Amino acid sequence: MTVLTLDRVSKRFDQVLAVDDLSFDVSEGEVFGFLGGNGAGKTTSLRMVLDIIRPTEGTIEVLGRAPGRENSRDIGFLPEERGLYRQMTALDTIVYFGRLKGMTPADARKEGTALLDRFGLAANTKSTVDKLSKGMAQKVQLATAIVNRPRLLILDEPFSGLDPVNQGLLEDEIRRLSAAGSTVVFSTHVMQHAERLCDRLLLLARGRKKFEGTLDEAQAQLPARLSVVAKESPMLLPRVESANHLGPAENGWHRWDVRLEQDAVPGDVLEDCVRRGFALRRFEQQQASLHDVFVHIVGAPETQQ
Amino acid sequence: MKNVLIVAGREFRQILGMRSFWLTLLILPIAFGIGPLAQRFLDKHEPDRVMIIDRTGGGEARAIEQRFTIEHNRAVLGDLSRYVQRHHLEGADRSALWAQHDRWYSDADVARFVANGGVDAAQAKLKAAAPKGTPEFEADKPDYEVVAVPPSLAAVPDARLDEALKPVLKPSGKDAKPVNYVLLVPADFGASPLVRLWANGRPRSSLVATVQDVLTRDLRTRFLASQGVSPSAAQSASVIAPALSISTPPPGGGAKESMLVRSILPLAAAYLLMMSLMLSGSWMLQGTVEERSNKLLETVLACVSPEELMYGKLLGTVGVGIFMIAVWIGCGVFAAYATSGAIADMIRPALDPLSSPGTILAMLYFFVVGYVTISVFFLAIGSMSDSMRDAQGYLMPVIMAIILPITILMQAVLAGNTGGVMMEVLTWVPVWTPFAVLARLGLGIPTWEVIGTGLVLAAFTAIELVLLARLFRASLLAQGQRPNLAEVVARIRGSAAGA
Repeated sequence: MTVLTLDRVSKRFDQVLAVDDLSFDVSEGEVFGFLGGNGAGKTTSLRMVLDIIRPTEGTIEVLGRAPGRENSRDIGFLPEERGLYRQMTALDTIVYFGRLKGMTPADARKEGTALLDRFGLAANTKSTVDKLSKGMAQKVQLATAIVNRPRLLILDEPFSGLDPVNQGLLEDEIRRLSAAGSTVVFSTHVMQHAERLCDRLLLLARGRKKFEGTLDEAQAQLPARLSVVAKESPMLLPRVESANHLGPAENGWHRWDVRLEQDAVPGDVLEDCVRRGFALRRFEQQQASLHDVFVHIVGAPETQQ
Repeated sequence: MKNVLIVAGREFRQILGMRSFWLTLLILPIAFGIGPLAQRFLDKHEPDRVMIIDRTGGGEARAIEQRFTIEHNRAVLGDLSRYVQRHHLEGADRSALWAQHDRWYSDADVARFVANGGVDAAQAKLKAAAPKGTPEFEADKPDYEVVAVPPSLAAVPDARLDEALKPVLKPSGKDAKPVNYVLLVPADFGASPLVRLWANGRPRSSLVATVQDVLTRDLRTRFLASQGVSPSAAQSASVIAPALSISTPPPGGGAKESMLVRSILPLAAAYLLMMSLMLSGSWMLQGTVEERSNKLLETVLACVSPEELMYGKLLGTVGVGIFMIAVWIGCGVFAAYATSGAIADMIRPALDPLSSPGTILAMLYFFVVGYVTISVFFLAIGSMSDSMRDAQGYLMPVIMAIILPITILMQAVLAGNTGGVMMEVLTWVPVWTPFAVLARLGLGIPTWEVIGTGLVLAAFTAIELVLLARLFRASLLAQGQRPNLAEVVARIRGSAAGA
């Protein structure tokens, strides 16, 4: 079942086209990465999904309905810029947002207490937010987003500003919610998180979609690379685009960084080596990183690692 | 609607959780409570001390002292009469002077009053006749007390009195009591009309009038005697006075007094509206600025629409305002029950307007709608400001524009000015309408004007809410510099970038 659909959506602010003809679908239970550099249109797209702003053109469908607050009982949202009411207690804050999402006060309190317990904040339920450390406040913020056990969790740059412990906690929560059947859509410009978490991802640059697919499909966008130890130059082999000599190894062997032609399959190259008697001591495929894919597709200035 | 109530509840609780709220809430009752107490401390209870150096043999001094006593007893008798009239106690003794209210008490009346036992005898009769709970009559202290002339001072020649009286009028000792007035009646008084008065401040007119009256009578008697009139006839001529019959309304019943008292409740409503609006509006503004500066809005807007957030905030603020006013009114009612006499007497006629359902309805309508109309300005400012410093830039002109004309209006109403162009302008311009109509309700405002201004106010508030909703939606997530007027207009028209 499709949980989220954007169909030819555009958003214009005065002379700036922030989102340009964007279309994609997210299926139920997926962890969907929304990748792009600063100003790529990620936040604008997510705000349109949440009906905080309206698209200039195109249609959006969330959980089978048009965007609107009636969806909020099934949606969790963690914005990029986060804050809490400083004079409210941790539990009251979670209960407040739970109630705004249609929960009863009792349910919101029960779920909020359980979340704070799980996040190691059981002793701080009655503490006002201004008495909490930044890390604690971040956990409370996360709890406000998931208190309603959302069917669709939308996270806008969720890892930005988090300390490593809370980054790990958030990754665990995303996996936990996904395992429980929730759909997770998150935007990021940090590729490692997307590599670890996403089932599918979408690359966005200047408001336009550049790629949509799985991580493997993304990696297939780049020619394969090999780490080879051989006596002769791999340039002698077919389907090799370049072979960079990295230096001598032991007993007359040499280390090479080999880049294959587009669409060449490493296994075929290995077969050629055997058939030709091309002496090898090492033949290792180097997986392209998502960062490399991103740089390849949208250009270096768009990303940040 | 549910989300509106949830937002309103949070706003309400947040403001009630502020220390500044409770401080401000209690300041008014405390000030009203301390006021009378402070007044009691500030009130001058001790009579002015008067020293009379009478070189004529003491007759003039005795006459003046006697006159002070008569005037004091006349005042006590007058107060007693008003007290009896206020509490309807004439039945205690219908023949008593204090049961007759339609006259100016002559010297003979006062003498009779004293001869009949004075205030003590009157109180004994009244206490027996007064219903339970009637406050006891308390006679004021006399205004003047005549002190004896020390022999050392009596021996000082007139020419050297200026110097000699300095330590008497302004003694240097910490506990020494000053003499407020020293009167010198020279030995040749009669042949010469000259008398001298020293005072350690501006002399009270009652003192000067009393001294002048006594000495004038004496001079006239002497004059008539010198013209061959027998001394007893001359004496009688000096005390001839008309028997003055006076008709006055009962306490609180005078035209101006009555109008003022009837105006108190509506005026107080206008004043409380202004006070609570300024306070709760400022707190709401702080809350909105906090939401913006703490980057909270996006989280909130994912759950509630800007309109729900706006109405929730307005409702919460109106709730805070009504709560404040309820507390203040509660304190007032408590004070009315806990006190008696003048305050209770004043409150009763002040509640007269509440006997008319139309007036109650009008007061409630203009109060609540007025609250929304003005709160909207605070909300608009909050939605456009990233910090309280930003907000101050908008706030000051708005507050001044609202408060200044209202202050003038209230002064005018207190002075009993019910007409005039300014009053009409303030009544019909919607931002001032609630205050003006509330303030005028006690003085009497034509029904058609109440209905007309009510309709104009409703239309204005409706348009204001629509426009604010646009400004609110467009401003909430807008970032960057404080918007200029053109940008504000663009947001209201719905053509701004973020809309």
